[in-house]
Amino acid sequence: MINLPSIIFYTFSVLAIGMAIVVVTSRNVFHSAMALTGTLGVVAGFFALLGADFLAASQVLIYVGGIMIIMLFVVMLSQQPFDALQRQTNTQWLYGILFAAAVAASLIRSFRDVYRGVAAVATDTVPTSAPIGRLLLGDMLVPFEAVSLVLLAALVGAVVFGQDRKAAK
Amino acid sequence: MTLYHFLALSAVLFSIGIYGVLTRRNVLGILMSIELMFNAANINLVAFNYYLHPENLWGQGFVLFVITLAAAEAVVGLSLVLAIYRNIKSVYAENMNILHG
Amino acid sequence: MGEIGPLLSQLFHTGRDWAAGHGVPPLGAQILMMAVQVGIIILSISLVPMVLVYAERKVAGFMQGRLGPMEVGPFGILQTLADGIKLIFKEDVIPRGADRWVHIVAPIVACAPAFVCFAPVPFGKGMTLVDLDTSVLFIFAVSGISVIGILMGGWGSGNKFSMLGGLRGAAQAVSYEIPRVLSVVPLLMFYGTQSLRGIAVAQQARWLGVLPKWFIFYPVIGQISFVIFLICSVAETNRTPFDIAEAESELVAGFHTEFGGIKFALFFLAEYAYVFLASAMAVALFFGGGDGVILPGGLIPSWIWFLGKTFMIVFMFLWFRWTFPRMRVDQLMSFCWKFLLPWSFVNIALTGAWILWRAHS
Repeated sequence: MINLPSIIFYTFSVLAIGMAIVVVTSRNVFHSAMALTGTLGVVAGFFALLGADFLAASQVLIYVGGIMIIMLFVVMLSQQPFDALQRQTNTQWLYGILFAAAVAASLIRSFRDVYRGVAAVATDTVPTSAPIGRLLLGDMLVPFEAVSLVLLAALVGAVVFGQDRKAAK
Repeated sequence: MTLYHFLALSAVLFSIGIYGVLTRRNVLGILMSIELMFNAANINLVAFNYYLHPENLWGQGFVLFVITLAAAEAVVGLSLVLAIYRNIKSVYAENMNILHG
Repeated sequence: MGEIGPLLSQLFHTGRDWAAGHGVPPLGAQILMMAVQVGIIILSISLVPMVLVYAERKVAGFMQGRLGPMEVGPFGILQTLADGIKLIFKEDVIPRGADRWVHIVAPIVACAPAFVCFAPVPFGKGMTLVDLDTSVLFIFAVSGISVIGILMGGWGSGNKFSMLGGLRGAAQAVSYEIPRVLSVVPLLMFYGTQSLRGIAVAQQARWLGVLPKWFIFYPVIGQISFVIFLICSVAETNRTPFDIAEAESELVAGFHTEFGGIKFALFFLAEYAYVFLASAMAVALFFGGGDGVILPGGLIPSWIWFLGKTFMIVFMFLWFRWTFPRMRVDQLMSFCWKFLLPWSFVNIALTGAWILWRAHS
């Protein structure tokens, strides 16, 4: 059925799968990172399509505006002169393709058996920022506080590992 | 556009991520494929929330935590890669074999 | 009187019905009118940097005791047009060692999010293109995408100094995003909504019938929020005193050294569009949006008030450039992390205390 959500879904699917293939097959690691940034933006589009507006904006803010910038930093700081001539795929690519195809086929088969005809209940989209806030400080309070400890550990770990000990001496 | 469409899409993205993890030589490529797998799982969670349980938002809350933990893991992983690069001047996985038996 | 908001939505409906009446399927008519609206926004936001570049050069001239552009057109009004035409006709050079694809896409990635960010901005009564429920988060998220454009510009230039300039520029932008977002959190706590139109409308009341209830007039919290937001916006848009990444006298031109012609024009356009966006956000958040003062109600339409207030804040951006010396990059980073960030946390705590006190009394 051709309606606006379907058009958007199929366009975004083609973009997401195309860019994901570029991520895993590109010879240039900077191009992979660019394609990953695009994929993450398209995934934010899927979140918005599924009525999760707060999550879509958070996905762009955290992934594209944070994680991909760090990843691009490390890509730029770890470049070597002969990178462009290296092959980026190792010798077990055939087994990789077979295994990935097997995983995809089994997942799709099991989803099709169980969830074939489940359609959405037609409700209006409600803004999700306030309900998510209430959820995080209500039912999900313990994971919320625990995640702040995890972030503290990650912060300390990143600073410790990122120090340049030879330059400091 | 049913639940099955979203689940099939996330299965395809997940398997593309698996292929990347298994075959990329560059450690950064492996980390990028792991991020791809995280995002495929996130699409799954939000789709289940929207289609099967639209009355509450547990799926979306869970996704917030997955995004946060993926960020933490990516940051630590990337600083490790940077530290390793400073020592062996290479980011290719087959060169990181000092503990190889 | 003079409100064009209802007129614009009337035009939208008329256009859609006209298209549907001429055989276009209803979905296609809807998409067509949405595309027309997007086109109008893109065109108008593209014209703003032309005005801003001229304004910057005139303001710079007067602050330095000279006249600025006076040759092209009366009082130099057509100077930006002439510069634009010159840039379009320049040769497009891609350095040989540079990544070709990245060099072409970098200015687009730096510039395109600026246009998207203007969707939820309330230009007046009934003149918000899309009233999102997460406008504030949306604007911050999409303006973070252009930091990737800075990194791509640094990489795509093919030389180490541009790459370092790009890394520094990206580090600066990412660092100053945090106090910027945190300085807006007290507003969200106060007004309970992230919609810019909602926040602007909620400020259209008066204390004692005289003083507008704009957020900037709230004691302590309004002023701290506005000052932190303004400083961080100046740093985000790489303007002096925070323009070490593109400093003309230091690094040639930092991350956009190797970009000429239309690509340089796009980087320039992005910078001025973000200046206009930051000013528009400051007006919608802190100065009541299209709220008018002094004059009896309805005399001057709300969009003229909005544009007037926005250009006052843009003037502050231009004023800072020729008043303050440039900060060194380590001073810049320690200013963000050791001064602005703790004060934005204090601001949030003070706002929480104020709200609790109000709720209890």
